[in-house]
Amino acid sequence: MTHNAVVLGGNRIPFAKAGGPYAEASNHDLLTAALDGLVARFGLAGERLGEVAGGAVLKHPKDFNLTREVVLSSALSPSTPACDLQQACGTGLETVVYIANKIALGQIDVGIGAGVDSASDAPITVSDGLKRALLKANRARSAGARVKALAGIRPRHLAPQAPGVAEPRTGLSMGEHQALTTARWGIGRAEQDELAAASHHHLAQAWKDGFFDDLVTPYLGVAADAIMRPDTTVEKLGALKPVFGGPEGTMTAGNSTALSDGAATALIVSEEWAAARGLTPLARIVDAEVAAVDHPGGADLLLGPVAATGRMLARRGLTLDDVALVEIHEAFASTVLATLKAWEDAEYCRSVGLDSPIGSLDRSRLNVTGSSLAAGHPFAATGARLVPTLAKLLHERGPGTKGLISMCAAGGQGVVAILEAV
Amino acid sequence: MTAVVTLDSPPGMGRSVARALLPSRASVARVPEHVVRLAGVIQDRARLADYSRVTGLTLRDTVPPTWIHVLAFPLHVHLLSDAHATVRLVGAVHVSNTMRLQRPVSADEALDLAVHATTPRAHRRGALVDLVARAEVGGDVVWQGTSTYLATGMRAEGTPQDAPHEPFEPRALQGRWRLSSTLGRDYRRVSGDPNPIHTSRVAAKAFGFARPIIHGMWTHARALAALEQRLPSTYGVEVDFAKPILLPGTVGFRAADAPGGWDADVTTPDGAKPHLRMRVRP
Amino acid sequence: MSALEKAFTSKPGKAIAAKAGLKEPPRLARGRTWPEGAIVLAEIGESTLARETLALLGRSVESPIVDDGQEPAPGYGSRIGALVVDATGVTTIDQLEQLRAVLRPAVRGLAKSGRIVTLARPAEGDWEQRSVARALDGINRTVAKELRGGATATLVRVTPDTVAGDLVSTLGFVLQGRSAFVDGQAWSVGHTDSPATALDDRPLDGKVVVVTGAARGIGAAIARTLARDGAHIIAVDIPAAGESLAAVANEVGGSALQLDITAADAGRRIAEHAARAGGIYAVVHNAGITRDKMLVNTDAARWASVLDVNLAAQIRINDILLDPATDGGLVDGGRLVGIASTSGLAGNKGQTNYAASKAGVAGLVEAMAPDLAERLITVNAVAPGFIETEMTGRIPFVQREIFRRSNSLSQGGRPVDVAETIGYLLDPASKAVTGQVIRVCGQNLVGA
Repeated sequence: MTHNAVVLGGNRIPFAKAGGPYAEASNHDLLTAALDGLVARFGLAGERLGEVAGGAVLKHPKDFNLTREVVLSSALSPSTPACDLQQACGTGLETVVYIANKIALGQIDVGIGAGVDSASDAPITVSDGLKRALLKANRARSAGARVKALAGIRPRHLAPQAPGVAEPRTGLSMGEHQALTTARWGIGRAEQDELAAASHHHLAQAWKDGFFDDLVTPYLGVAADAIMRPDTTVEKLGALKPVFGGPEGTMTAGNSTALSDGAATALIVSEEWAAARGLTPLARIVDAEVAAVDHPGGADLLLGPVAATGRMLARRGLTLDDVALVEIHEAFASTVLATLKAWEDAEYCRSVGLDSPIGSLDRSRLNVTGSSLAAGHPFAATGARLVPTLAKLLHERGPGTKGLISMCAAGGQGVVAILEAV
Repeated sequence: MTAVVTLDSPPGMGRSVARALLPSRASVARVPEHVVRLAGVIQDRARLADYSRVTGLTLRDTVPPTWIHVLAFPLHVHLLSDAHATVRLVGAVHVSNTMRLQRPVSADEALDLAVHATTPRAHRRGALVDLVARAEVGGDVVWQGTSTYLATGMRAEGTPQDAPHEPFEPRALQGRWRLSSTLGRDYRRVSGDPNPIHTSRVAAKAFGFARPIIHGMWTHARALAALEQRLPSTYGVEVDFAKPILLPGTVGFRAADAPGGWDADVTTPDGAKPHLRMRVRP
Repeated sequence: MSALEKAFTSKPGKAIAAKAGLKEPPRLARGRTWPEGAIVLAEIGESTLARETLALLGRSVESPIVDDGQEPAPGYGSRIGALVVDATGVTTIDQLEQLRAVLRPAVRGLAKSGRIVTLARPAEGDWEQRSVARALDGINRTVAKELRGGATATLVRVTPDTVAGDLVSTLGFVLQGRSAFVDGQAWSVGHTDSPATALDDRPLDGKVVVVTGAARGIGAAIARTLARDGAHIIAVDIPAAGESLAAVANEVGGSALQLDITAADAGRRIAEHAARAGGIYAVVHNAGITRDKMLVNTDAARWASVLDVNLAAQIRINDILLDPATDGGLVDGGRLVGIASTSGLAGNKGQTNYAASKAGVAGLVEAMAPDLAERLITVNAVAPGFIETEMTGRIPFVQREIFRRSNSLSQGGRPVDVAETIGYLLDPASKAVTGQVIRVCGQNLVGA
């Protein structure tokens, strides 16, 4: 027997720039705050839920069981189990899919998908050289051998190592990869800045309209997304210097996401559970898929979601016209623009195994309440931000309204999902 | 009527600390009679975050009761640095602590703090003194805490009242904590408690310990952190500091349901002897 | 801290203050506690209403000492906890002497946090009778001012059809520590079908109560107190206060609703949120703001925002929640409580807009109560005086000290005092209490 997994709502804390107002807070703190806000919104204090799935991309080794520890710190019953998942920037969406699948199979009837990241609380590790020397010293049987082992430590070994942001196989950073894609697809500077400005304006308008009143709970005195610049303009963005793609590049700090701190959660339940509680579901999770491209072989790193989108729509007998709203995660403005171009490009779509192009999207249906460029992108949190946001938007438009989420992730991967308002 | 000395700013940790740290030669335990008061204490979130990290608590908008003790601690020091006091911080052993959180306190609330000492009472090993602290918000008492110190070798009036100790029964442990050698320094940083017995081997030896010992209030906070969300939203907690913990070191932890609250012990690694005994009640 | 506050809290400062009559204020007994000492019942006339009500409360009573003219006047051997006078039979000026005769020994013999409660009829009947009804009011107010040690006096007006079950929650509240900061007040109890039979310690068990402005201060105290009485709390506050709101909601096992109550769809959103719990039993309209300025400096924006948040918003929300078509609206037999203010009843310099809104709340409950009687919905307001909160903590010290001592109990009230009074009004047993404005002000000198 299968069940319908529905999105009941969500909660996140306002996102903020790394090193900003949450500089002192850990992943554990951020996610606990987001989870406690969700518990309060839905009156779940002291309840045992089926499972909470969460994750972080940048994680301290001591946080190996981050989500379970967060549950123990939260107002949920301590008998609520949890697990950590990690799929780079797709984590927050993957956790929702994981919970939805368990609900669909009848294994649980209520769960939470969540994600958190703090670029402020990034783990700093020791170098391999130092690690080897210390291990050797530890194994040494005599004081002399120990001294000898420790003498092998060089000054360069002592430099702390920030977590890698480069793709392990190519050595290129995500921005450098995207710069290649940007050039390949001929994405211009102006359209990137326009998309970025629109993201800020849409997000600011949504805040003004009170759209986030039941999606966000303040934390540490921060009441609204702190990266958002309501008064930014294409002109202001146009004045910024490129940071990727060399002096001729088009990608700036303004049309790329900022390193961010934040956490987000989504409450996913079976329709039966919602009905028994008298709670109104926002949207059903119709389908989801993860895909990957061969970026070491030269494929566009962040166009992974294209193939997944095409296959998933085809599987459901849907076309882009059946989808009222689309959320494409704005890793970079040019990622969104390249994705839209790829959707229209018959040759590209064929090259990733699709029978026909996905189609052309009317921009008025895209990221209508802003996205990562304006809100920020605490890596693992973004998917859990998108799901409740889209679910609420669809619910407002009435039952049957469908929406698509497309998220690119490191490793050439992409996570996509379809929601339908109930 | 009790006099109130109102401070304009948190007492500096300069001379008053030096005084408070200076062992007293007097043999009769004497404490100041006045109340030290400090109004409008703004809580520093960065320090709270650091405190939370060191003690294993989650950084939230609402603060743990032990944090308010940390905020009131400079007033303890100030009071015991008074010229009239013969009981000094150093040499006085923190034997027990009782505190009650009357309502959840937010990190953005400004607190009015007041501390006074009670008349010393006799103990078979010296004199006991209670330092009673109170935190108010807008006239409402939101937290109160009593720290009981034993001034060893000092005299006080009256006959020693031997409070019967609840017998300690070794049971299975639920946790084991490894306390690093830097923990004393870490907790000094977040608590502002400068007593070198927690950080210096030499100072520790001077007081008869082989190595530095961790602050009792760290152990207290760490034990609360272990219970965290299972604690009621407002509660009273009593701890007895049975035996100091040497740094670095390993200790055991166990907790059990009690009527409406929890009983917990921090013990030796084998669970045979208690370091700290804690009772939490709503 | 100001130099003045320092001087005041210093030893010589306190000594001077004590000479000036500013003694340490009495400690008030609070919560579900009965007076320490006997409850004495004096009956003037044939009525057994007070006796029956005390029996329902499970309190035994003792006979009063009567001042029969001997000198020295007779007194109670040990302190008494309360004197309850059933004065429903008092209709003539001559009968007032009987009241004096039982009050005199009792006022002298009353324990700390004791109570003097007088039951009387509303002003009806012939000229003398109506005059006497008002005279009782004057007696109550004055006795309240003369009592010491945190003791209070209350006048409860009961109609001829009021029975013990109608009165049980009121008399229980007035006698217990819950009414600690209600002093020198008078309000009315009527009659309804199937009155209560006892006082319940968890009268709100399983009932859904909406509290606006619940993130902190008085609102958070209301949420906690009502949750203690068994209510499921829907805690409402502006989104910016969401973090404290979530903490309060999780603490009381309720749920949080981040909402600007002045939004056009506020009522609908409250109903939607409450629909899951099957409808609302009570709404406590606690959210309020101040934008203080002397009238000469009050512009349209300051005027409008205060009236909108404090008054217009609750009317809009009530309209939605009272519409029987609203899923998740107020159930029949439910409760509405507004927060008025002594500023509204008496006026307060620099608060024209606030006074307008708060007096408006008092007017609103008086207007709504008769109209909703058929649906057994009661509508009442509490009018706090000086209550110690974070907000009042920012008032300059001298002013604050004057405010807080300008009442018969010589101290500011606590948020819980307001909350307890609301808890009493929400008690299902209080269904015969409607259209009342109860001041929680320690008998503040300003106002009626």
